[in-house]
Amino acid sequence: MGSILVIAEIQKGKVREASYELVSFARKIGAATNREVKSLVMGQGISAAAEELSKKGGGEVFAADDAALANYNLDAAFAAVKAAIAAASPDVVLVSNTPSGWDLAPRIAASLDAGFAPDCFNVDVEGGELVFLRRFFNGKLDSRLRPTSLPVVATMQPGATAAFDGAAEGKMTPLAVSIGSLGTKFVETKVASAKGVDLTKADVIVSGGRSLGGPEKFQEVIKPLADALGGAMGASRPVVDAGWLPHEYQVGSSGQVVSPKLYVACGISGAIQHLVGMKASNFIIAINKDADAPIFEVADLGVVGDLFEVVPKLTEAVKAAKG
Amino acid sequence: MKIMVCIKQVPHQDARLDVNGAGTWIQEENIKFEINPYDQNALEAALQLKDKEAGTEVVVVSIGPERVTQSLRTALGMGADRAVHVKDGAADGSDSLGTAKILAAVAKAESPDLIFAGFMSDDGNLAATGPMLATLLGIPHTTTAVSFQKNGAIQVERELEGGALEVVELNTPCLVTTQTGMNQVRYASLKGIMAAKKKPIDVKTVADLGLAGQVGADAAKIKIEKLYTPPKGQGAEILSGSVDEVVGKLVGKIKELGLL
Repeated sequence: MGSILVIAEIQKGKVREASYELVSFARKIGAATNREVKSLVMGQGISAAAEELSKKGGGEVFAADDAALANYNLDAAFAAVKAAIAAASPDVVLVSNTPSGWDLAPRIAASLDAGFAPDCFNVDVEGGELVFLRRFFNGKLDSRLRPTSLPVVATMQPGATAAFDGAAEGKMTPLAVSIGSLGTKFVETKVASAKGVDLTKADVIVSGGRSLGGPEKFQEVIKPLADALGGAMGASRPVVDAGWLPHEYQVGSSGQVVSPKLYVACGISGAIQHLVGMKASNFIIAINKDADAPIFEVADLGVVGDLFEVVPKLTEAVKAAKG
Repeated sequence: MKIMVCIKQVPHQDARLDVNGAGTWIQEENIKFEINPYDQNALEAALQLKDKEAGTEVVVVSIGPERVTQSLRTALGMGADRAVHVKDGAADGSDSLGTAKILAAVAKAESPDLIFAGFMSDDGNLAATGPMLATLLGIPHTTTAVSFQKNGAIQVERELEGGALEVVELNTPCLVTTQTGMNQVRYASLKGIMAAKKKPIDVKTVADLGLAGQVGADAAKIKIEKLYTPPKGQGAEILSGSVDEVVGKLVGKIKELGLL
């Protein structure tokens, strides 16, 4: 039996929360299949972070410390992963489904000629075999993926399980990485442009989706309700992609992550990337014509109906209630 | 310069999704298909380069049954120069790696300077094929591009979490996967659609590509054992009644929350 290799990520000098979630998954698989958990930490000046991971469930932690790894770089990171694979001989490799995971994990799978299970929310062990659970069709259908051979590479959704926070003594092993010529070069990271709209501070957000049909409908239907409730207007990704509203209105994993007292989702089906951005709201009302829309799974109150009928009447009723 | 664009035909965003009898994929009969939205941005990125640089050839590649011809014609109508259609039941059931192997065989024959692919497909959401293809070809890649510039070097802005961006430079040849919203996708003009009728679609089988037995369901390293409607959790309390009744209940709740 091979080992399980956790590819950890560094954020602000520490091993990020999502990597400790990978440790939870790895330990679950390890306990059920008698595999040892090992980890890779890469970056520059990361030995303290690697040391900490080795004391908190990461098992034998390989620490690849190199100036070329200071910022995420595909070739440098892949070289570190190759060295860690050579040292750990894993047959299960776990990566977080994050921007660097999107870039790196498929490259690891293809180089190992391995099965790839991306963006999973859980893993089951059945008779010693692994089954990965993930969503298809933007969250509308679930699936069970079974590798037909090993090794297998999987990426796990951040937040899909609790981060491991027990004490479990491992050890840190420095890992020498030979980083050859680089085909990609990190230039810079840009923070999103200054926001005219800070949705994170709004008590009430009324958001609209693609089924609004056009930018003018946001002014005619969504904004009046937001105004009546003293709140802000938001939108789902397809709305911003279509250029109906600027990016600062986007709620979701690639936009703003919000948790208002009330979130009203109008004509939003509830793609995962949107749900990630709003499911922590205190109270969620969803209005959608499709009764099977995933948004109803996270909402507290739902209306299955035509938003063009419901929302304007709700706006009038809210105004009337305020007197 | 030669640019290869990988496109996938996927169920239309509004298509009804029912699981098939075997419980392993959706029922594909009688539903509408379209070019994967992410791939439309990939194609647009290639066509914008073609508009800028004379002598640029754009080759679109797709895998799938006869219905895929429609999407390839659309791409040619938008301005691609020619198409390669891998049309072979032996490709059915390929996992991401199998798909990447097929595309790699096409890419080796074409030797493009640049490959664009959508970040993910709207059906599988796997986001694997593009980077796997680059890996098999031994070329650099980057993912989730929201902007692309070629002034000598290739520079891409890629999307990180929370609206942050990372700027990356790539050597050529390379592969870039594109995010939705990266550009405004053009429509095929009537003139373009007419011209597309004369543009070649090169049909290939898996054997033509030297991959017999190496791709398809039997060669897949991972399989969809079961596809199913997610179990309903607590879920929302669905309000019933007339629109006026429903609105009354919503206002009551909003008052209860102390927001009125």
